[in-house]
Amino acid sequence: MAVDLIKERYTSRVGEVVLGATADEGGTRSHTITIGGDSTMPFLRFEGEVPNRPVVAMEVVDREPVEWNVALREAIGDEIKDPAAWAQKCVNEFGADLVFVRLQGADPDLGDAGPEACQATVKAVLDAVKVPLIVIGCGDDEKDNEILPAVAEAASGENLLIGTATEENYKTLTAACMVHKHCIVALSPIDINIAKQLNILINEMNLPLSRIVSDPTTGALGYGLEYSYSIIERARLGALGGDRMLAMPVMCTAGYEAWRAKEANASVDEFPDWGPVEPRAVMWEALTSTALLQAGAHLLVMRHPRAVSLVQKHIDAMMKE
Amino acid sequence: MYSVLFFPDNVVSQVEAGSSLLKAATEAGLELKSGCGGKGSCGRCVLLIKQGRIRVEDTGNLPQLKVQEGYVLACQTFVESNLVVEVPKDSRLGEHQVLVDSKLLSETLPPRQTERELDPLCRQFYVEMQPPGLLENASDLQRLRTALGKNVGKGDLGVSLDVLRRLAETVRKGDWNVTATVADFDTQPQLVAVEPGKERQSHLGLAVDVGTTTIVVYLIDLNSGVTLDKRGTYNRQSRYGDDVITRMVYAAEEEQGLGDLYAAVLETVNELIDRLVEENGVRHEDIVQVVAAGNTTMTHLLLGLHPRYIRLEPYIPTANRFPPVRAREVGIHTNPEAWLMVLPAVSSYIGGDIIAGVIYSGMLESSEVSLLIDIGTNGEMVLGNNEWQVACSCSAGPAFEGGGIAYGMRAMRGAIERIQIDRDNYDVTLSTVKDALPIGICGSGLIDGLATLREAGIIDRAGKFHDNGANPRLRKGDNGLEFVLAWGKETECGRDIFISEDDVKNLLRAKGAVFAGIRTLLKTIDYPLEGVERIYIAGGFGNYINVDDAIRIGLLPDVDPSRYVFIGNSSVKGARMALLSRAVWQQAQDVARSLTSLELSADNTFMEEFFSGLFLPHTDLSLFPSVKD
Repeated sequence: MAVDLIKERYTSRVGEVVLGATADEGGTRSHTITIGGDSTMPFLRFEGEVPNRPVVAMEVVDREPVEWNVALREAIGDEIKDPAAWAQKCVNEFGADLVFVRLQGADPDLGDAGPEACQATVKAVLDAVKVPLIVIGCGDDEKDNEILPAVAEAASGENLLIGTATEENYKTLTAACMVHKHCIVALSPIDINIAKQLNILINEMNLPLSRIVSDPTTGALGYGLEYSYSIIERARLGALGGDRMLAMPVMCTAGYEAWRAKEANASVDEFPDWGPVEPRAVMWEALTSTALLQAGAHLLVMRHPRAVSLVQKHIDAMMKE
Repeated sequence: MYSVLFFPDNVVSQVEAGSSLLKAATEAGLELKSGCGGKGSCGRCVLLIKQGRIRVEDTGNLPQLKVQEGYVLACQTFVESNLVVEVPKDSRLGEHQVLVDSKLLSETLPPRQTERELDPLCRQFYVEMQPPGLLENASDLQRLRTALGKNVGKGDLGVSLDVLRRLAETVRKGDWNVTATVADFDTQPQLVAVEPGKERQSHLGLAVDVGTTTIVVYLIDLNSGVTLDKRGTYNRQSRYGDDVITRMVYAAEEEQGLGDLYAAVLETVNELIDRLVEENGVRHEDIVQVVAAGNTTMTHLLLGLHPRYIRLEPYIPTANRFPPVRAREVGIHTNPEAWLMVLPAVSSYIGGDIIAGVIYSGMLESSEVSLLIDIGTNGEMVLGNNEWQVACSCSAGPAFEGGGIAYGMRAMRGAIERIQIDRDNYDVTLSTVKDALPIGICGSGLIDGLATLREAGIIDRAGKFHDNGANPRLRKGDNGLEFVLAWGKETECGRDIFISEDDVKNLLRAKGAVFAGIRTLLKTIDYPLEGVERIYIAGGFGNYINVDDAIRIGLLPDVDPSRYVFIGNSSVKGARMALLSRAVWQQAQDVARSLTSLELSADNTFMEEFFSGLFLPHTDLSLFPSVKD
């Protein structure tokens, strides 16, 4: 007997955001990447379309992240000391779709790099790779309001994805993205209302909805993943139901979160049952990432090359006709 | 004992060493603002010490400069010698704009009492009795009962010993013709007074609204149903705290707490009655019936019931239905035989004032579904028609009454009511109550202000101030950014009056809670807003709301303003209707029994709605289609 699948029908879809710009479009990227556009829940292609494959960005830091787990640093190699070389390796060897540059060196406590230095870093990475770029500030509002507009100006035309805008601090960055034609990351604290409100606030400054990517705050496996999952799922349902202010593609900083987990760092001496730390940490990052894909993430930001390769394989399998 | 002399009033109070100045002021008959009930947190009871020794426990949020000049908080400062103290103007509880007569205001509901048959709870009957004889030897009381016949309810005539003691002489003095006053609200009719002869006696009743903030009394002629006069004033309990929660805490934690609160409300009611009696040339003993309405806590305090357990989970009142009591038992200045009837409550947070509102609004007489909203510290709302009613109560906080707002105040003289801000140069135009120099901002001013700040681009939809560097009135204060509405030289108190980012947050929470209550009510019974034919806005505060402003900030639903009906102080008007109609009194009992009370803390709907409401006008902008930027 044939089984009829019950299919949901949705009236609307997730918005599409195009990242990067080719020479024709005023940038220097070899290609652009489009995220979002789904007209169904994640991967349920029998119900609707999933026109764009979820993508993986790899995280590059503008200073050597000496505090990172040694297993992770070794997997990246010596290039970890130079953001341009690191970015190149991510794209050429590790299979990253995009590069995510964290301007952590601008943090007043971690080097206090000025706007010019940040501009130079971003320029160097843009020269080193041809994929679209994500640029994230150091997390200090005051400092970010100084460096991010400078970066936006220096990379004018490249259609970067720049972050992070929060409800407390979104105006300077939004204005910079408008003037220099970039996209923006809108970060909300696992709160569907604030996510939506922030989108409204940014949009009201006249940045089009098609240039906003939502970061609903990521929890790692075992560290609140289920909260992120619910929020992402709720936003997707809103988007499919026609709520344009919740219809932004979703970015998740899975690598950053997974590598903060105790399970990704505790030594085997401490927990003999858990096995060696590196494969465990890689799995922690990969599982966090795949779960977030199932929730509805469009853009994952990851760290470990092997985790990236596992997740890329997973995405391929999920997207196979 | 030390004496404390208060300037500029020139009044002295004698207090024990170590008494607080707040107590000394109260004993001298001065009413100081004390929103927190003497906890040192609201910073309103500011006094200036001119002479003498004091002990200062805490200076709360008083600016350092003020402390150096000798200013103190009355509740945190204790007497250690004879003192001379000055009372600054803005520390006083001024005359509140109490809504006793809303003719001047935008009340749009037609008077409905006329449609009802006049059938007061307490009626007068002239009766002619057969004189007794040797064979017809029924007692005087039995004779009177028989003569009253079917005019009053069944059963024996209830009578007090006092009336009974005078009965024999009275009936004979009138030659067996008397005028009997009978309160007839229950199974047993009660004899309130008997007077000889057919003289039409003055026959008066009182309708009382025992509000948290204000108390209003109507003096009514029970024979004609005409309201002779009305008086209102602020509730003297204010000195023990602005809101019911603070007062419940006071009642529970202070030794004489309940007694103080009981005395204060009684004093307020009696003062109003005494003034009504004096100014209308009537006598206290002519007042034979009182009907009161108030929220559950205020009703408890009026009757001297302890409200302690209303505040504590699971929020249980002593009673929701209150027995008729003699007004003199409570201590109200009336005829000693007069009965006090209190409109029933539904639960701890849906009180008799709301039942009165339901009655007065006319919701029960129509199959059209309407919504009644009473906005105060608690926002209470009732949705329903002649067949069903559902109610809920949400804590909006005292922001709309000025609580928790740096320059918040009640709608008194000098309160800013309207605010206009020029979009280009940020010039501010203010209107104040009685066109006085501004002292602070009242609820309607805050609602208007929130909408105006948003429209002038000074705050964003999330309530954050936007500092573009070009706004000379925007500055950094102790609690973040603040927008100056009036500079010190333009104000009564000589200080700058501003709205701070904290104030905006408090207002967002208050309006978010009210709107969330409305949404939750509709959602719970799955009833569309479009189906609500009328929205009644009740409460003393409700009359000052500008509907357009309230919609612009997302406090009230975005429906055609013509669907809003202001009904003013529906608590006292509902009490009046019950006083004048036994059927209405019965209806109040019935509706208190049949009304469904929705407990908002039972699930997440309210909280979800609340958080969506912390935005201007709302996170779901589609709920406010008429609000354009």
